[in-house]
Amino acid sequence: MTFPYLLTLIVFSPLLGILVLAFTPKTKESAIKLIGVLATIPALILTLYLYIAFQLGAKLSDFAEKVSWMQFANPEVFNSVYSVNYELRADGFSILMLVLTALLSTLAAIASIHIKKEWKGYFILFLLLQIGMFGVFAAGNLILFFIFFEITLIPTFFLIGKWGYAEKEKAALSFLIYNGIGSAILLIVIMFLFAKIGTTNIEALMSILSNKAILSESTKMTLLIALIIAFGVKLPIFPLHSWMVRVHVEAPPSIVMLHAGILLKIGAYGLIKFGIGFFPEQFQSLATWIAILGVINLLYGAFLALIQTDFKKVLAYSSISHMGIVLIGLGAINSAGVQGAIFQVVSHGLLAALLFWLVSIFYQRYETTKLAELGGMARAMPVTAGFLLVGALGSLGLPGMSGFIAEFMSFLGLFKSMPILAAVGCLGIILTAVYLLRAVLSITFGEGKTTNKVKDMETIEKIPAVILVCLIVAIGVYPDLIASGLTNTIETIVIGLGG
Amino acid sequence: MMEFAWIIPLFPLLSFLLLIVYGKKWGSAAPYIGMLLTFASFIVSLLVLVARFENPTYKAEATWLTIGDATLTAGFEVNQLNALMLVIVSLVSFLVHMYSKGYMQGDERISVFYSYLGLFTFAMLGLVLSPNLLQTYIFWELVGVGSFLLIGFYFYKEEAKAAAKKAFIMTRIGDVALFIGMILLFWQVGSFEYDEIFASVSAGTISSEMITLTAILIFIGAVGKSGQFPLHSWLPDAMEGPTPVSALIHAATMVAAGVYLVATMFPVFAASEAALMTVAIVGAFTAIFAASIGLVQKDIKRVLAYSTVSQLGFMMLALGSAGYVAGVFHLTTHAFFKALLFLAAGSVIHAVHTQDIEKMGGLWKKLRLTGPLFLIGTLAISGVPLLSGFFSKDEILVATWVHGHTILFLLAIIAAFMTAFYMFRLFFLVFGGEARGDTNHVKESPNVMTVPMWVLAFLAIFAGYINTPWFGSFLGDWLTDGNAALGHGHIEGPIWIMGLATAVSLLGIALAWLIYSRKSLSRDWLSSRAPYAYQLVNKKYYIDEFYHFTVVKAASILSRVARLFEVIIVEGLIKLITAFITGLSKLGSRMQDGQVQTYGTVAFLGLAVLVIVLALTGGYL
Repeated sequence: MTFPYLLTLIVFSPLLGILVLAFTPKTKESAIKLIGVLATIPALILTLYLYIAFQLGAKLSDFAEKVSWMQFANPEVFNSVYSVNYELRADGFSILMLVLTALLSTLAAIASIHIKKEWKGYFILFLLLQIGMFGVFAAGNLILFFIFFEITLIPTFFLIGKWGYAEKEKAALSFLIYNGIGSAILLIVIMFLFAKIGTTNIEALMSILSNKAILSESTKMTLLIALIIAFGVKLPIFPLHSWMVRVHVEAPPSIVMLHAGILLKIGAYGLIKFGIGFFPEQFQSLATWIAILGVINLLYGAFLALIQTDFKKVLAYSSISHMGIVLIGLGAINSAGVQGAIFQVVSHGLLAALLFWLVSIFYQRYETTKLAELGGMARAMPVTAGFLLVGALGSLGLPGMSGFIAEFMSFLGLFKSMPILAAVGCLGIILTAVYLLRAVLSITFGEGKTTNKVKDMETIEKIPAVILVCLIVAIGVYPDLIASGLTNTIETIVIGLGG
Repeated sequence: MMEFAWIIPLFPLLSFLLLIVYGKKWGSAAPYIGMLLTFASFIVSLLVLVARFENPTYKAEATWLTIGDATLTAGFEVNQLNALMLVIVSLVSFLVHMYSKGYMQGDERISVFYSYLGLFTFAMLGLVLSPNLLQTYIFWELVGVGSFLLIGFYFYKEEAKAAAKKAFIMTRIGDVALFIGMILLFWQVGSFEYDEIFASVSAGTISSEMITLTAILIFIGAVGKSGQFPLHSWLPDAMEGPTPVSALIHAATMVAAGVYLVATMFPVFAASEAALMTVAIVGAFTAIFAASIGLVQKDIKRVLAYSTVSQLGFMMLALGSAGYVAGVFHLTTHAFFKALLFLAAGSVIHAVHTQDIEKMGGLWKKLRLTGPLFLIGTLAISGVPLLSGFFSKDEILVATWVHGHTILFLLAIIAAFMTAFYMFRLFFLVFGGEARGDTNHVKESPNVMTVPMWVLAFLAIFAGYINTPWFGSFLGDWLTDGNAALGHGHIEGPIWIMGLATAVSLLGIALAWLIYSRKSLSRDWLSSRAPYAYQLVNKKYYIDEFYHFTVVKAASILSRVARLFEVIIVEGLIKLITAFITGLSKLGSRMQDGQVQTYGTVAFLGLAVLVIVLALTGGYL
């Protein structure tokens, strides 16, 4: 059924592409782009294989890998040896994230056809970023997690800073500063746990930390808050979000597809996996605050999205708003809420990728994303306009698409634990419709404002859009498609939460 | 047959998918595909209805989503109410598909139009078949999208854009209330299934406050969808859509979905007198409120739109007065005569290319078919005896009276009077008198448009006979069969109500005739005597302006506050952090100034710290 080193193969498969690219002359644009796209295919096939094997009932332990890597501290002086292993493992949630990463990477690689310069460097960094993302989701211990986490930062920094729009350097810098601080805090937490407990293996930590005798209550709480800040920067949680708006606006759309689709989700993944996983009781006592932060994120992002004049900024604030749903689901601390949060992670990944791909398509033609300069696109580019509307409807939580399922389950969960707060949050559902329709209709409807003679989407441009829409609709119509694979993960989390 | 009911919505879905993908290629064949597939839906619906006469309710479900211990299901159900609705929806949809072939002739985006029609019909049929609240909600939103797309069909018109957006957002406000109500109910009952909800309600496991709260929240959803006060103002604006759409969505089917929802959830409403009272008051108020605005409108479609709002108010009033049968009955007859009126209005617009009734007139002689058809619809809605509207409106008035709502009964009588008046005002201004516009090129519509109208006209006349005080209340008995919670098939009421209803509608007609046909009374006789009242009504009670200065302004102020916060605090935070880090690095670089003494000091201090740490901790923190 499964074969050894599957996870390692997945994580490092982009290396093959990097190797080939290294020997490709940097002027051969179409060859580089082709290699770039092809290099993401093996990982896609492997992750799909992994997903299918898992769905067909393969044991998770079959995927786990462990090789001794390094040891330190002198065993003669100390009674314990500090060893760091190279260990990979997967569960329902991380398998889902691996598939999502592989899929969005392929689509973002296709979307990179709009990249205009230095394709070789671009794709090498792109594939490096992919390795980092895979590694984050497959890591079996915190040290590896951290290493891969850092690997995602550096290529992203250069991809933003070099291939972005006008204020790209500034955006790249604030990206680096914020995420640098976030990972510094994360590192402190990891080192503390390592020093105190002697292992960084995620599963081991989960069971050890559930023992009340280990670490005092207040230490645990401090560690949890540190983790929330570290991953909160990534998600981002209000008020740590301003770097993310800049990145959304300035980074090349193909990178934003990955950024909004996967990189932000590392924040959610970390919160769920380590925040709740290691400190369930402390998380529970913070649940009200998490839910309140979620509602603030949801409403604050929505109100700001309402008055933006640049479509990319609308989408950026919309991402902040949508990440509020993740927090709302987690704050609900019941199975409906947690499942809703995970669904939102996947769903927003797909929707954000779709919307930014469409941004790339019409920016290519109109060279603007300012709402005031656009209008009447439905006449010149009916197909693009149609996809844009589908993306907006999906994003505002139209039933039949993935966003609704996520929103529905998160709110279902929150209404059980905090009905009043949930009712306030529901205001966000209305606001989302208002700002998305305002933005999308002013682009697609009305009289045409630009005189550019433009052509509608090319066939190659349709591929990512069609695939994304199909997945969004598939999850929306039959959510058990991915929910069934998550049952165990969610059960583990909810049992940790004590019910 | 009923086990195949799930196939009914799939035909129009297929139509939508085929036309959205291949529509451009197939061009003029699009209408035929749409017509064929909705006709198939209609035939199956008819068979299902016939099957339902002889068999009990059929229900089939499968797992849709697992959440923890709860399993949510999806499926379909055929009961009396939705078997009836299936036929109404698929029939009107088919007729509108047919009519649009003529009306939309020559539009280059006709295939898009038909694909949207397919999407809407799919959603509406799916809504009707839903066996649980969640599934209803899902299709509830999808019909909203169908409506949104069709209102915005002429996307390049600013008015259409604004109207589509407004329709979506205003109905969504209601939808969110429904969403909350649905979830609250779920945590009470542990299921979205209608059966289980009703079982819990009748078993008394839910507190009465909770029943009232959820019922009212669900009702707010219905208020949004059915254009009831105060969420009504999107519906008249929705007339920006092509007229066949107004007939299908904004008269016969989607806007009736709110009434349908309340009817479906009736056992919950019936368990709370406060909720019923709310429904009745909102319904009665909307009925008279919208009718009064209808008195002064100058756009043929807007008069009909306000009339729809008003008639939906009548239906709500019926349901709120425990007149389940009366509400559903009026929903049925209204679907036919209002669709007829809209299609006839479309035929007029198609002929004269204007919607302004001031520019029409004298069309009776020009439009030999449309004129009588419009008259049939007008007579039916005005409650003239022996036509369908007469019987259903009578049922509502009886239900209101018997339930003891005297004031609401009076409001309904006044609204009925206004209805007769504004409908005949419309009729005389459009068809009577002399032509006020250019009528030389006016031509009667083609058969493809008139045939659907004849079918609807037939139903507008005769549909009432399925439930009359004279020939038996067949519909009522059947609808309430085996379900005591829905009340009786027919409510006995005093006979004078029928006489009064007839009198007020004839009075309304007579007054309209005196003013607009005989011209014995001046048109501005009333408006010149009460200019402020006239202005108030003409401006639709300033509801839109009110929303603009409250809700819209508040949202924009909040947005601005958020932006201020973003600029000062959040951006300030990032500047602070950047400044801190830059400062730190500047400090670091200043240290490296080439002075050996400084290096020495730093190295020594560092070493000292390390030694102290080692001494204190023994090398291990």
